[in-house]
Amino acid sequence: MFQTVTLTLLEGFLQTLRLFVLTLVFSLPLGLIISFGSMSKISIIKAPVRFVIWVIRGTPLMLQLLVIYYGPGIIFHANVWGSGDGGRFIAALVAFVINYSCYFSEIYRGGIQSIPAGQYEAGQVLGMTKHQIFFKVVLLQVIKRIVPPISNEIITLVKDTSLARVIAVYEIIWEGQSFIKSAGIIWPLFYTGVFYLLFSGLLTILFGHIEKKLSYFR
Amino acid sequence: MAVLEVRNLKKSFDSTEVIHDISFSMDEGETVTIIGSSGSGKTTLLRCLNFLETPDAGVIKVRDDVLFDSSIPESRSEEAIRKKRLHFGLVFQSFNLFPQYTALENITLAPTLLAREDKSIDATLIENRAKELLSDMGLSDRMGNYPHELSGGQQQRVAIARALAMNPDILCFDEPTSALDPELTGEVLRVIRGLAKQHTTMIIVTHEMSFAKDVSDKIIFMDKGIIAEEGSPEEVIDNPKNERTVQFLANYKKVN
Ligand SMILES: Nc1ncnc2c1ncn2[C@@H]1O[C@H](COP(=O)(O)OP(=O)(O)OP(=O)(O)O)[C@@H](O)[C@H]1O
Ligand SMILES: [Mg+2]
Repeated sequence: MFQTVTLTLLEGFLQTLRLFVLTLVFSLPLGLIISFGSMSKISIIKAPVRFVIWVIRGTPLMLQLLVIYYGPGIIFHANVWGSGDGGRFIAALVAFVINYSCYFSEIYRGGIQSIPAGQYEAGQVLGMTKHQIFFKVVLLQVIKRIVPPISNEIITLVKDTSLARVIAVYEIIWEGQSFIKSAGIIWPLFYTGVFYLLFSGLLTILFGHIEKKLSYFR
Repeated sequence: MAVLEVRNLKKSFDSTEVIHDISFSMDEGETVTIIGSSGSGKTTLLRCLNFLETPDAGVIKVRDDVLFDSSIPESRSEEAIRKKRLHFGLVFQSFNLFPQYTALENITLAPTLLAREDKSIDATLIENRAKELLSDMGLSDRMGNYPHELSGGQQQRVAIARALAMNPDILCFDEPTSALDPELTGEVLRVIRGLAKQHTTMIIVTHEMSFAKDVSDKIIFMDKGIIAEEGSPEEVIDNPKNERTVQFLANYKKVN
């Protein structure tokens, strides 16, 4: 039994992991682009970007998942997500990417805006280009400041992936729960908890390591 | 020949004119200090010279190069402004060292980047020159330290070395000791005095009146965006003619 459960949960965990990794791959860079939009001096760019961020951060991810999955079909009578498991996974991924890009963009914005103007000006009077100032002076300072909030957000994402089940993406908890019906046992659910703990524990160690690496300056 | 000539410089923020109409010139190797009460436009003047602000009107000339002339429309491209900036250096009140680099790296960073585009600069000399500058500043044993490991006075001396490494024609200081404890002020002023002795061309904004008096070739007193009085230290500090200068110096003596 233990072996069957382990294999099934591993399958669910693989799905969880895929959602987690792909969400990060797309939302970490997309968030940077959104943050530039939200800091734009042009208000026709800045205002709508800030509005979208406000909506996404102000509503539950669960709601966004449902709207993104069912919305296109009901409103436009178009099946944009494709059919079956694959389609549902893509819909879930899109919802996660949008949601997390907005959260990341706010962290980037906070990080970038927290760098004192004096750092840019010191670079300027030394004849450095904008490009050089960003990459040689500002970037590492921004990274140092955003590592703690980003790592919090990423550990939240580990747990948020379980929300994908509302549109029937078979992530690990879904698989664990299936044993309640089929075999009348609850321990597989606790077992899923172990997966989460190990995974988030591993990430905590990794981020702690990065923070330590960057602690040589202030 | 004048190394710097500023004519009819004007600068407003929104609708308030901060620099009304400023003209002055200085010679090679001179030390000019600018004094004046808070809000009189001293920082804004230095920022205009370093192209951190664009003046609204006037002329800025270094030797025979017209760096800025509001009557001639010209490119304000980042490239053009960058090259002009290199005529000036600026030491900030708050040091603004780059925290992720050591004292030595703070100094070598900009020259190294510049050497990549300007092949006439010998990149192999940059590090030695930086070490030389640091030892002139009395910081030979601090080269490998990061800014947060240095005292304010040491940070400011690194900042001075960093500015000197670019070989500016004119080095500007904006209240270089205002963020320092009295005991650390002395070590920075000593370094600046040393530079004056070697005839480094400098413009220094300061509230340290006795320092201004013995280091300057010329003192400029600014008041509400204009030069109210200028002359030798003996003229401006010991025998001020302008009513506002008299008042400013009297207030100053009262405080101290
Ligand atoms: N970026 C800006 N936008 C708007 N107003 C500004 C700006 N920079 C300076 N000012 C205003 O210009 C005036 C002159 O400021 P400035 O900093 O040049 O004075 P200062 O002589 O250096 O004063 P202090 O001795 O306090 O440093 C002040 O009234 C200030 O509020
Ligand atoms: Mg000032």
